[in-house]
Amino acid sequence: MGFDFNSLLAFIIFGVTIGVVYGIVALGISLIYSGLDIVHFAHGEMYMFGAFFGLVLAHNVGVPYPVALIGAMILTAILGMAVERVFYRRLTRAGGGYTVAGMGMIICGFGMSVALVNAAYFFFGAEAEPFRANLDYIPRLTFPGDINVPESYVLTAIISVLLMTGLHYFLRHTKTGLAVRAVAHNKDIAYLMGINVPLMISLIFGLACGLAAAAGVLIGPMQSVQVEMGYLMLMKAFAAAVVGGFGSLPGAILGGIMVGIFENLGAAYISASHKDIYAFLLLILVLMFRPSGLFGVEAKVKA
Amino acid sequence: MVFLSRIADLIDALASRHRLLPWLIAYLMLLPLPFIMSTFFNSYLIDLANRSCLFILLAVGLNIVKGFCGQVTVGHIGLYAIGAVTSAVLSLEPGGFGGALGFGLPVWVSIPIAVLVTAFAGLIVGLPSVRLEGAYLALATLGLGESVRIFIAVTPALGSSTGLMMIPAPSIGSFVFDSFTSYYYLVMTAALVGIYFSFSILRSATGRAFQAIREDTIAASVNGINVIKYKLLAFVLSAIYAGLAGALFAHMPPGYLHHNNFTVIEMVTLLLMVVLGGIGNVWGGVIGAIVVTIAYDQTKDLVVYFMDRPIVIQPLVFGLSMVLLVLFMPRGIGGWFEGVLRNRRFIKRSEEKLGGTARNS
Repeated sequence: MGFDFNSLLAFIIFGVTIGVVYGIVALGISLIYSGLDIVHFAHGEMYMFGAFFGLVLAHNVGVPYPVALIGAMILTAILGMAVERVFYRRLTRAGGGYTVAGMGMIICGFGMSVALVNAAYFFFGAEAEPFRANLDYIPRLTFPGDINVPESYVLTAIISVLLMTGLHYFLRHTKTGLAVRAVAHNKDIAYLMGINVPLMISLIFGLACGLAAAAGVLIGPMQSVQVEMGYLMLMKAFAAAVVGGFGSLPGAILGGIMVGIFENLGAAYISASHKDIYAFLLLILVLMFRPSGLFGVEAKVKA
Repeated sequence: MVFLSRIADLIDALASRHRLLPWLIAYLMLLPLPFIMSTFFNSYLIDLANRSCLFILLAVGLNIVKGFCGQVTVGHIGLYAIGAVTSAVLSLEPGGFGGALGFGLPVWVSIPIAVLVTAFAGLIVGLPSVRLEGAYLALATLGLGESVRIFIAVTPALGSSTGLMMIPAPSIGSFVFDSFTSYYYLVMTAALVGIYFSFSILRSATGRAFQAIREDTIAASVNGINVIKYKLLAFVLSAIYAGLAGALFAHMPPGYLHHNNFTVIEMVTLLLMVVLGGIGNVWGGVIGAIVVTIAYDQTKDLVVYFMDRPIVIQPLVFGLSMVLLVLFMPRGIGGWFEGVLRNRRFIKRSEEKLGGTARNS
């Protein structure tokens, strides 16, 4: 295969779009990490549940795609908050305050991830379902050099930017956002300042799970939706969060884009069947040589 | 309780004669197990016992790095896979089925090589632990473990989707370990020796260094413990256990290996064993391995019909029980066990002080 500049450009464009979706999931993981000091191993399942909620809303209830997106985000946020309230909160209390003994939380999240996947079989079945969405009102983009970008990719880019701007506005310019940042910074002092810390933690969890659900609904029309999809997404989102520096929100998006490009280029120029390994490879390389991430500040070691 | 402490008394009495005496008696008691099983129950139980022994090896090995040294690793099943595939590929005849690699080495050569290769892989898995802690380390090891499985799944030379078949069984002279019963002696011996060495490690200076690192890494380094060396050593030791278990698994009677044996579910099963037994407790790990292997086997085909869909509920049950165990029984069976034994030791010491009246008064 000769070197073709146009196809390289196409791979990069698709890599960026997929990467933004990884970035959205990574954003949630980073949010939970900075807010609760835990690494949420069941976040891929929130993404999967979000995709299925969106699918059920769009196909069975018959609402238009944007409504399905918002509905799925709300439903998944409620699910996430319930899981946090019933299971994780108990564990965080056992550790004293809201900091957690690392191993217990990791094992708990791991078990929760497996339990959620298999609970999903009950409701959604084992078949991969195509997500049919009517996206004709979105223009197709054509880049120079005859690169056609499908509607779903354009939509993904638009909605991702909207979500990120919304999150940034919420965290930086509203009073509740300030409270969330205070909780992430120091829970004890936030308590003393009269912030309702448990409520804020629920809010953080809900936000993070809502973001994961948005990613699930966005990726639905590009790939099909199935129960086992959460696990690989979790690994890639972790890779994105680590590459961007764990706990850093802009880093999560940049990391996601890097993972997306890396993966697409690897699949195109090295070997397509090893596609899913490249993200791990990047993850391990970054962890070993620059644990604080490529864009991150000094890594907070919390375990 | 009383029964347990009687047994403990007996073991103490035996151990005072010779250190290895209780182990020898345990070995002798385990020897007739396959015959009891095949006479009174059915011979399928022997296969179950074999798999329990392999999982005992794995769980005890995982305990060294996780329980003794306090490093969170969730990629252990990847090491198991490396051990299994290396030994299988080395011992297969060249030009095997479906483009699988083969070197045709004798089994007794391929198993030690597989263990060495796995030990080296353990060193690589352990390298991130030098710089990373807690959740970061869990991520790195999860990534490594899963990439091993995906690599096996997409590489035809290592069996890819068809798996490796006709893996030869080990033999001594003309005696071939190709039945469940004969293989039982191989894996049972390995498991018992593995448990014994695990205790030896725990009691040695190395074991104390591991525990010091677990409790406080900085304090350990101040006390002159080479933290990097001992962390890597813990990973290598546990990798040796995993490699041996994997190699023995590869040559087990059906002689068939598929990458589905190394999925996340297996990792959850393995973690559940260690968590159920109590992290850091050797006997707890052994009990956990036996209980979970039996539970795994019994619930494997349990299917619930929900809206006309057959659903395998085993992973759901395993995942949830792991969550609930961490929440409500964080010290596991081993923790309870240890509490009883500590009580007993306490009573004994008070008896010695008070001249044997403490129990009755």
